[in-house]
Amino acid sequence: MANPSLSSLFLALLCIHALFLAFAHADSHFEGFEAEDDDDIEDTSIDPASLRSPPLSDPTPLATDPTPQPPASDIPKSPPATTTTTFDFWDDEEFEGVPVEHSTPEPPSDPKSPDNATATPTPPIANPPRSFTVEILCGSFLIMFAINYFTGKRENENIALSWAAQFAAKDSIFEKNFSLLGIGDGGDDAPLLLKEGQTTFKFYASGRRYCQGLLATLELKSRHDLIARIYNMIVPCRDEISFEVYMNDDAMDHVVFAMAKKKAAKAMHKDVRDLQRFGSILSPPTARKWVADDLAVISESKEVAADLITDAVIDQVFGDKAFEKFGKGLISLHFSDQHPGVHKKVLLFKFVLPAAKNMADMTRLVALVPYYIDLVGRYKLSSQARSKTEGARQKAALEAQKELRNAQQEAMQRRKAERKKMMEEAEAKLSAEAIRKKETKERTRQMKKAMPRMKMARGA
Amino acid sequence: MSSHANDPRQPSAARPYVAPQIAPQDLPIDYAGFIAVIFGVAGVMFRYKLSSWLALIFCAQSVANMRNVENDLKQVMMAMMFSLMGLITNYFGPPRPGKQS
Repeated sequence: MANPSLSSLFLALLCIHALFLAFAHADSHFEGFEAEDDDDIEDTSIDPASLRSPPLSDPTPLATDPTPQPPASDIPKSPPATTTTTFDFWDDEEFEGVPVEHSTPEPPSDPKSPDNATATPTPPIANPPRSFTVEILCGSFLIMFAINYFTGKRENENIALSWAAQFAAKDSIFEKNFSLLGIGDGGDDAPLLLKEGQTTFKFYASGRRYCQGLLATLELKSRHDLIARIYNMIVPCRDEISFEVYMNDDAMDHVVFAMAKKKAAKAMHKDVRDLQRFGSILSPPTARKWVADDLAVISESKEVAADLITDAVIDQVFGDKAFEKFGKGLISLHFSDQHPGVHKKVLLFKFVLPAAKNMADMTRLVALVPYYIDLVGRYKLSSQARSKTEGARQKAALEAQKELRNAQQEAMQRRKAERKKMMEEAEAKLSAEAIRKKETKERTRQMKKAMPRMKMARGA
Repeated sequence: MSSHANDPRQPSAARPYVAPQIAPQDLPIDYAGFIAVIFGVAGVMFRYKLSSWLALIFCAQSVANMRNVENDLKQVMMAMMFSLMGLITNYFGPPRPGKQS
C-alpha cells in the first residue's frame, strides 16, 4: 500500500523537476537575451561610439585580442575568466548596476592594453544562463514535502481509524470488554482516539474487572514527513501498537513474565529493569506443548510461565502452527507487578499493526489483551512460589529505599553547596566592610536555621 | 477466547482518561529544528544560499513534526527567520564584496 504511493510521489517529483528545469531554461535564456538587449540599448543611448568599441560586444574583443598577443594562448583563457566573474556578479539588481559600471570603465579601458580591457567590461554582457539548480531542487522538494505531508497525514489517520473501527466500534472486542471507551466522559460522540502529533494515536478504555484502565498507543511511521520517509527506505520500521493495562493493586499476584522473539527477548532481559532483576530466560519444557521455536519466555519462575502460557493460547496464537498465521505481529508481551513508574502492576502488549485493509489479521492478538487481563487477574501463586517471590521483592524494596535515601542526601548536599556558592558570590559583590559584616551575621543565622532542618531530614 | 459467562464490564470502576504530565525536558528532541537553526545561521553568516534553502526544508520538517504548537514554535520561528533572512540577503541584498574581485 505504501509502495505504490511512494513511487507515485517520486514520479510526481520527477515531473515537477523536469517542468522546473524547462521553465528555468526558458527563463534564463530570456534573461540572458534581455540583458544583452538592455545593454545594447542603454549603451547606444549613452554613447554610440562605445558600441563599436572592442570590449563591448562578445566577438569583437576576441577579434581584437589576438593582434597584440599570441592568438592561440589568450583566447581560451579569457572566456572562462569572464564566465566566472559574471556568474558571481549577477544578481537581481544587475540591470541598475550594469550601465553605471559599464560606462565608467569604458573610456579608460579603451586606450589601455586590450588584455585589461577584456577583463573589466565584459562581465555584464556575457551573462551565461544562471544556474537555478539549487532553487529548483529545494523548491520542488518543499512542494513535494507539502504534498507528502497531507497525503501521509491522511494515510496515518486512515490506519488509526480503521483500527478503531475494527476493535473499538460497536460489538467489537473492546466494546464488549470495557464500559468506557475513548478519552471523553463516555458520551456517544466522545472521540475514541486521541491524536498526538502526526504519528501517535492513543486509545483509552476503562471500566472492567481487574484493571483500572487500558491505554493503547498506535505508533505509526512518519508518513507525513518526506525526510523521515526517505530515511525509512534505508532503515525500515513498522507501525506498532502497544497496550498498557493498569491492573488493580489487589488483582495481580507476583508475576514477572515476558515473551518475545528470541533476539528481542535477550535485549529485553538486558534492558528492562524488572526482568533483569526478577526474571530469567526459560528453556522450553519437554513435558508439554510450548510456544513456537522463535519465541523465548522470560519469567520469574517456571510455575508462572507454565500457568500463563495456557493450552488455549498455544492453540490459538503462539503454538507452532498458529504462530505463522496469527502470531506474526507479536513484538512482545511483558507482565510485571514491579513496573517502574506510577502504575506498578502493568501488562504490556506490543504488536505490529497490519495495513489498514487487513486490520482483522490482528484480531487474535488483540483478543489476547482481555484474555490475559482475566487470566492474570484471577491468578494466584502457590504458597511455595509466593514465599520465594516475596523474599525477592522485599530485597528489591529495601534496595529501592536505600537508593531513594541516597538520592535525597545527594540532592540536599547539592542544595547546600549551591547556597554556599550563592553566599560567596553575594559576598564578593559587596565591597563595603559594614555590609559584609552584616552578611556574615546573616549567614551565621542562616546556618543555625539550616542545622536543625538537616537533622530532621536525616531522621526521616 | 475472552468469552466468559458474565459480563466483564464494570461501569462503576470506569475512570476518565487523565493525560500524563510530561516534563518539557522529557519531550523528544526536535532535531530538525536544531539542524534548521544551524543551517540558517550558516546561511546568513556565509551568504550561502544552499544552506538557507536546507534550513527552510528542515524548518518544514520541524513544523510537520510539531506536537505542541506553543512549545516548539519559538525555535521553528527562529530557524525560519534565519533561513528567510539568508535567502533575502542572498537574492535581494547587495552583491558580495568578496566575490566581485
